Amino acid sequence: MKAVTTSVQQQTHKLKKERNFWRTAIRNKYLYMMSLPFVIWVFVFSYYPLWGWTMAFQKYKPARSFGEQEWVGFDHFKTLFQDDTFYLVMRNTLAMSFMGIIAGFAVPIIFAVLLNEVRSMAFKRFAQTISYLPHFVSWVVVAGIVTKMLSADHGTVNEILMWLGLIDQPIQFLAKGHYFWGIITVSDVWKEMGWNTIIYLAAIAGISQEMYEAARVDGANRIRQIWHITLPGIRSTIVILLIMSIGHLIQIGFEKQFLLGNNLVRDYSQVLDLYALEYGLQLSRYSFGTAINIFNSVVSIILLFTANGLFKKITKESIM
Amino acid sequence: MKSKGLLGSAPLSDRFLSVFVYVFVIFVMIITLYPFLNVLALSFNDSVDSVRGGITIFPRDWTWENYKVIFSFSGLITGFKISVFRTVAGTVVGLISASMLAFTLSRPDFQGRKFVSVFLALTMYVSGGLIPVYFLIRDLHMMNTFWVYILPGLVSAFNVFVIRSFMDGIPFALQESAKLDGANDFTIYWRLILPMSKPALATIALFLAVGQWNSWFDTYLYNGSSEALTTLQFELMKVLQSTTSGNNVDIHNSNMTQMMSTVSPESVKMAITIVVTVPILLVYPFLQRYFVKGMTLGAVKG
Amino acid sequence: MNQISKWSSLALSTTLVAGLLAGCGSNNDNKENTASPSANNTGSESAAPEDTSPLTLTYYSEDPSPNWANMQDEIGKNLTEKTGITLDAEFAVGDAVQKSSLIAASGEYPDLISAKQSIAKFVDAGAVLDLTDLIDKYAPNLKKLFEGNMSRLRYSDDDHAIYVIPSYNGIGQEYFNAGGGFELQHRVVKELGYPQIRTVADYEKAIKDYLALHPKDENGNPNIGLTLNADDWHMYISVTNPAFFATGGSDDGEFNIDVDTQKVTYHFRRPEEKEYFKWLNHMNAEGLLDPESFVQKYDQYKAKIASGRVLGLIDQDWDYGDGEKALKAEGKFDYGYGHYPVTMSEDVKEASFWPTGFMAGSGVAISVDNPDPVRTIKFLDYLASDEGQVLMNWGIEGKHYNVVDGKRVIPQDVNDRKVNDATNFTKETGIGLYNLLSGHYGDGVKDPSGNYYTTSFPEQIVASFNDAEKETLAAYGATTWKDLFPKEEEFKVKPWGAAWNIPIPGDSEAVVIEKKLTDITWKRIPEAILAKPADFDKIWDAYQQELIKANVEKAEKIREDLVKARVKLWSE
Repeated sequence: MKAVTTSVQQQTHKLKKERNFWRTAIRNKYLYMMSLPFVIWVFVFSYYPLWGWTMAFQKYKPARSFGEQEWVGFDHFKTLFQDDTFYLVMRNTLAMSFMGIIAGFAVPIIFAVLLNEVRSMAFKRFAQTISYLPHFVSWVVVAGIVTKMLSADHGTVNEILMWLGLIDQPIQFLAKGHYFWGIITVSDVWKEMGWNTIIYLAAIAGISQEMYEAARVDGANRIRQIWHITLPGIRSTIVILLIMSIGHLIQIGFEKQFLLGNNLVRDYSQVLDLYALEYGLQLSRYSFGTAINIFNSVVSIILLFTANGLFKKITKESIM
Repeated sequence: MKSKGLLGSAPLSDRFLSVFVYVFVIFVMIITLYPFLNVLALSFNDSVDSVRGGITIFPRDWTWENYKVIFSFSGLITGFKISVFRTVAGTVVGLISASMLAFTLSRPDFQGRKFVSVFLALTMYVSGGLIPVYFLIRDLHMMNTFWVYILPGLVSAFNVFVIRSFMDGIPFALQESAKLDGANDFTIYWRLILPMSKPALATIALFLAVGQWNSWFDTYLYNGSSEALTTLQFELMKVLQSTTSGNNVDIHNSNMTQMMSTVSPESVKMAITIVVTVPILLVYPFLQRYFVKGMTLGAVKG
Repeated sequence: MNQISKWSSLALSTTLVAGLLAGCGSNNDNKENTASPSANNTGSESAAPEDTSPLTLTYYSEDPSPNWANMQDEIGKNLTEKTGITLDAEFAVGDAVQKSSLIAASGEYPDLISAKQSIAKFVDAGAVLDLTDLIDKYAPNLKKLFEGNMSRLRYSDDDHAIYVIPSYNGIGQEYFNAGGGFELQHRVVKELGYPQIRTVADYEKAIKDYLALHPKDENGNPNIGLTLNADDWHMYISVTNPAFFATGGSDDGEFNIDVDTQKVTYHFRRPEEKEYFKWLNHMNAEGLLDPESFVQKYDQYKAKIASGRVLGLIDQDWDYGDGEKALKAEGKFDYGYGHYPVTMSEDVKEASFWPTGFMAGSGVAISVDNPDPVRTIKFLDYLASDEGQVLMNWGIEGKHYNVVDGKRVIPQDVNDRKVNDATNFTKETGIGLYNLLSGHYGDGVKDPSGNYYTTSFPEQIVASFNDAEKETLAAYGATTWKDLFPKEEEFKVKPWGAAWNIPIPGDSEAVVIEKKLTDITWKRIPEAILAKPADFDKIWDAYQQELIKANVEKAEKIREDLVKARVKLWSE
């Protein structure tokens, strides 16, 4: 008797769940209407073109139609993983990424927090506008400036170091591989810091003033206010940006490495996206390029889910 | 009992902080202003003289020539108009799409929440490549149209997540009480949540605007032969090409046409940077006022 | 209220879909109608007996042409008048190869295509027509132009079709000046009494002696003996190509090919070149080479030259030209550079001018989508005719040039505008915009009237030298720099043209191997040059080993097969 009732119970439970599902769906109808068109949109423009990934398993020739292509299975991936350069390139990419994420988060957050402490609105706005100007100057120009500043032939940095007595001969910074990662990180911070603070400033603007009032009444000085109100207040913003950045860990582009690098530091400056460009697109090896593309995406997705899961557990914030 | 009160709690640490803040901010301003001033100076400097180097923040040999070269290109006016259109259209449309999606995702009672989040998030990291997208655009008859600037990039996962994160900070209780008053989800979105999300919207509007303003690759791929649909950046790329001695040079053919240009590429590059940046600089102050400190969220704790 | 909201949310969602449909509707159909207003207003006045009804053709080119004025310039209008053809053109911006790939893959082709090296993609896609019959039947001028060289227009050994009318290389092209070799400032050779600059030892001595006399410039900054331009692809011009020029090899890209046996060697494997790089290493050890050579960017290189401190260069004049221009603008003419045919030793000839014969190469193709290939080929034929060539190069008689005593002369004011207001001049007149559209004669070739086809000729070059240059040239007994270099006649013509001009099939292994080889070379050569002299041999040997490990011999073999195929193709 008990067994029968349990299965009946299960069935009614299931029916109830289903009915609940539809009931909630009806209740959610506006939400569906507000999101479904976009989901379809995303499908058309972002997911449908993924059929192009089949190119990685073919010997793709633009001339032939889809049916006529030659299939080579995982050959391109094998080529990729058997190439020594690939590992070198991954090392460089990861190193610069890590350094980039650390510096690229710490500095804008600190700057945003400090800027928020500025009393005068006018000065604050002015400072903010100036700070993001380098974002608009292309990397070509910024790289030129950096190269000149680091030059051993009257470059600013060498002049200062010598004047301070720290060195007596100018150093050719850009000729030494092990300085390269640091140079890239610092240049990137210089260029993007101001722009990256915009989001944090907006997030800070969303924190209720009342909390500051309350803290002041409690006798907290500004430093403590920052620590206990401002920073936690923007924590969710920081977390989602961090998750998204971790997903992009190996997709860092190549423009700045290409422009600041030279043949002497190639072993440190070549990154994955540059490798893909030089050995894929520029040699018209679409299949190989697509294979790297897939590799990129797979790694990114794994990183994304890992970061998301971690943060969900630790801080209860996540994007998915 | 902490009876220090407002005046008393201006301890040494606060003053220390103020000084530190000002020093840091001014330092940042100097180092970030420099590249821009350098570009500005070079844009007004005679191109031949610029080759000598050594120009920092003041032009040495003033000239309008670099700008004249840019403005002598006829496509610029059309490019400017189209760029303005696409920036405005793209920003408005992008804001609506991102905020609407963000709203649905911020609702804990939305059934599709998890699915849509994942579905969106993945798009940031996958791409089919240039060729499939090109075919798609062509098959949808969007080649040589204005819409190719707006429609394909309509939904940006990044924008959605940023706005959602802001919306998450708005207490759900507010929405519940609005529901009790008879509002449906769309009204709540339009009349309640949107106005409260101004800082987020302003930020994303800025990102969208800059993105639209700066793009030229889509013009190149899809509207390359369409004079009426050219964009400012694309025209400027053409200007740059006309004076670049060397990027596509055939290294075995010492082609003398390079020598024909009287304005060197560096100077024009600088002038182009200025021409492109100034409009954005004019836009930002309008958006800044939305980054107003503090929102009173009523009696409910944030 | 609720009703309205419900409808507005529905409306909003569908607006975007409607936008897409509207996008279909407002689609500017068909490139043929967009930007060519002149298609309608060309009169049908025609002097030539051919069909000159208005026809607009779409044209895609991988080269930029920023001054293109939609054929509204003077030459353009004239052409449309005479042939009825108007071109709706799209030129490359940025990386053209990507765009070409897309077009080739898309299945919809422009009427005329100038795709340089990407033409292979179009051929593979079946997008372009075989022009052999069209030329034979309808293009007498093209036939005359390419007489004797027709076999060079053929695509490959397996495919004797003619897909491309070469438009980059001119028939009978002659060179009147030398822009390469090794450079030294005029003031250096002058002060040293114009010593012979023939070998690297001579060159080194000149720099050393002058530096001893003038170690610093007037501002107290040290003078630099020699600086190299190693920024990205400039590496080829200033660092690696000179290695073969200075050791008797000619320019065949990254390979050296024996003119008799056609044996192919990756040129860095030649023992002579080891000696060349060893010499550079020695220059570095002596402090005569700029230590920043491999770190500096292109604009820093030019700035250094513009400062006047650099005594010697190894580069092409168009590569360092901007720097020299700055010096000239300051009036420092004796800080300018002369060109010398320096090689390792006296019995080695500098091979900059090793003749290749007509190289065919990149040009214009007619696509399968072209509405009227016959009229198109007639149009191209007109451009290649005597009348057409003079029109494209000189302009319109009476406006851009005059005929004085049977000689074509450009009036001074026109010439001034050409040089000083180049951009506007080009846009208005159209001179220089149409040269890559069809086959043409090169510099130094005279037309039936006894005048040159082009506007570059020897007298002009000599006139363009400034006093310092003339002084140095006179001291060495030459009229132009080319006089100092071994002449074309001293070499055997290369039956394959030039190896860098031979296309490699896209899926060949050679493509990847060669890229790897370049990567290795670009890393090792700077390393070897900057190393301590005692370490040079060790580094060089390791370099050579790396090349072998990277399959250099396979690449050489593949190249050799291609060269032999080319020789066969061209000699039939």
